[in-house]
Amino acid sequence: MIKQVDNPILEIHDLTVSYEQSPVLWNVDLSLPAGKLIGILGPNGAGKSTLIKAIMGLVDHSSGYVKIFDKNLSEVRSRISYVPQRESVDWNFPTSVLDVVTMGTYGKLGIFRRPGKNEKSLALASLEKVGMSAFAKRQISELSGGQQQRVFIARALAQEADLYLMDEPFAGVDMATENAIFELLQEMAKAGKTVIVVHHDIHSAMKYFDWMIMLNLHLVASGPKDDVVTEELLRKTYGGKLNLLTKVSEIIRRKDFNPLKN
Amino acid sequence: MEHFLYFFTFQDSSIAFIVIGITLLGIGSAYVGTFSFLDKKALLGDAISHAVLPGICLGFLFAEEKNPIYIVGGAFIAGAMATFLSSWLNENTKLSEDTIIASILSIFFGFGIVLLTVIQKTGNPEMAGLNQFIFGNAIGILEEDLWVYGGLAVLIILTLTVFMKEFSLMVFNAEFGKAIGYPMGRIRLLFNVLMILSVIIGIQAIGVVLMAALLITPGAAARFWTDKLSVLLVLAGAFAVISGITGTYISYVIPQMPTGPWVVVSLSLLALISFLFAPKRGMLYRYFARKNYLRKTQNEHILKSIFKAMEEGKSGLTIEEIYQLYPEQKKQSLKSIKSLSKSNHLVINQNIIYLSSTGLTEAKRVVRLHRLWESYLNEYMNIAPDHVHESAEKLEHLLTPELEALLESRLNYPKLDPHQENIPRDHD
Repeated sequence: MIKQVDNPILEIHDLTVSYEQSPVLWNVDLSLPAGKLIGILGPNGAGKSTLIKAIMGLVDHSSGYVKIFDKNLSEVRSRISYVPQRESVDWNFPTSVLDVVTMGTYGKLGIFRRPGKNEKSLALASLEKVGMSAFAKRQISELSGGQQQRVFIARALAQEADLYLMDEPFAGVDMATENAIFELLQEMAKAGKTVIVVHHDIHSAMKYFDWMIMLNLHLVASGPKDDVVTEELLRKTYGGKLNLLTKVSEIIRRKDFNPLKN
Repeated sequence: MEHFLYFFTFQDSSIAFIVIGITLLGIGSAYVGTFSFLDKKALLGDAISHAVLPGICLGFLFAEEKNPIYIVGGAFIAGAMATFLSSWLNENTKLSEDTIIASILSIFFGFGIVLLTVIQKTGNPEMAGLNQFIFGNAIGILEEDLWVYGGLAVLIILTLTVFMKEFSLMVFNAEFGKAIGYPMGRIRLLFNVLMILSVIIGIQAIGVVLMAALLITPGAAARFWTDKLSVLLVLAGAFAVISGITGTYISYVIPQMPTGPWVVVSLSLLALISFLFAPKRGMLYRYFARKNYLRKTQNEHILKSIFKAMEEGKSGLTIEEIYQLYPEQKKQSLKSIKSLSKSNHLVINQNIIYLSSTGLTEAKRVVRLHRLWESYLNEYMNIAPDHVHESAEKLEHLLTPELEALLESRLNYPKLDPHQENIPRDHD
């Protein structure tokens, strides 16, 4: 069940991504509508983060392409915001919460120029939206896991983008914070933004997402929540890895060269 | 003392020049080094500083004299090759990073020593100064060399200041930088160039063997004192300058004494002081924090045991009875009783120790936290009543008033704990 849409905000065409030449995502082909809260679901190691990184150009494609707003990534970068996994950075880095959120304004600011009053007030407003204004002056090493996550989301908000890509923003977040963040994301979708979230809890996914992408090394489903969350598709997504696909990956990994590269 | 005054009043203009040079060099290398320390790439600095030796020797062989331009050029090429080689090997082989760094360091340095021996055999009279590149000699630096090294140091400091935002982004979250379209590859390249340059400016004053210490130690020592990047950079710069000048002074006072080792000795001293005495992170602070906590724990235990005796119908306890309760901590118990009676928590009358009204409130609080936590473990985490005491014995000293309020409301203000003992409150 893969539903394609007209005038997609994001189009992924036949995308294959490999790490150390063995494919971790096979031939993903989908298109997504604007103004929706979209979840990417799948078991551990299904390629969820890889899909987001491939969209952001952080990992190389073996084949296929990605179009955002019908353009190439480099032309529309300032309209896209990316939230990496919380664990991907060293939270002992000596900097304040406000400084991290201000990084969200760096894209529009460009190299050389330093953030000024406007950037600081935008960062403060973004902190306010995630309920963290009281922490602006704190050092990031003092934050709890949930607070770190909210700081990252505030940084994304400070980018003032149209498309948001978030990698596991609910990892290590308590229930109350998760609900609050989900409500914020829903508001953003209502305001016409598109928010794509890597997530793995199917229960809260059912509650909040409009559209779901289900991955398990390949694309199992993409479509409105009610169409794709069926017993059969869930079994295909979570019912163990495709044995044959894993074996083929293994053969490719052992080759001395990358047979998938043209 | 005579030397000291002569040196630090800068009557000799060449000394003033050298001190200015060392100051710039210290700030520059501490600045770059702090970023690479935060980036957890400290070893790369060590590899570069050893790897520049063959470049210095080749520069000397080409110029046939100690020409600073040739030497800096040769050192830069060698440093760049080492840096490039280590990242290439990292990406294209399965060797681990520490293996790569260790091999590059020893191979380049070994080759450098071979070249140095070859140069020694040529009998070139200029050669005498070349040995100084190993352990450094700040006093031997000529004025024209100082202009080159000082100029490079200023260049490093300015570049780092201009690109502060980009370099912070590179260290904290390079992937995000890439996602917002910053050329992170080129920013990393620029940083590596600065790193090599900062090694090069130190080779004559500090020496290739010990230059890595001037890169990394100031930042590492300063990290004990602060959580702010700006303060960290200033402090690291100050540490580097202090030890740089100390080393130079000793080279000045004792002829033939190399500068590098003394810079490292004074840096190590500063690092040791930071490690021991810095607030919050220092050993001493942590030792006293722990000691204070243990003292507070024992105070609370004594209040609690008198309260429990009162529950059993007694009015107080004798000191022997308290010793029997805590046979391992007689000394600490005596200290606790003294300080508690001083702070009016205890009243001692004819060898019997009673709780005062403030002492009673405090004792109730501790017992209440203990029993609330036992109830919570029992009710919410399904832990059997005979397994909850150990945990509560520790948590009673830790739970904050906010957590107490949360526990009370979650458990709905219980009257009894899992052992059917009363949970004491202020108004009963």
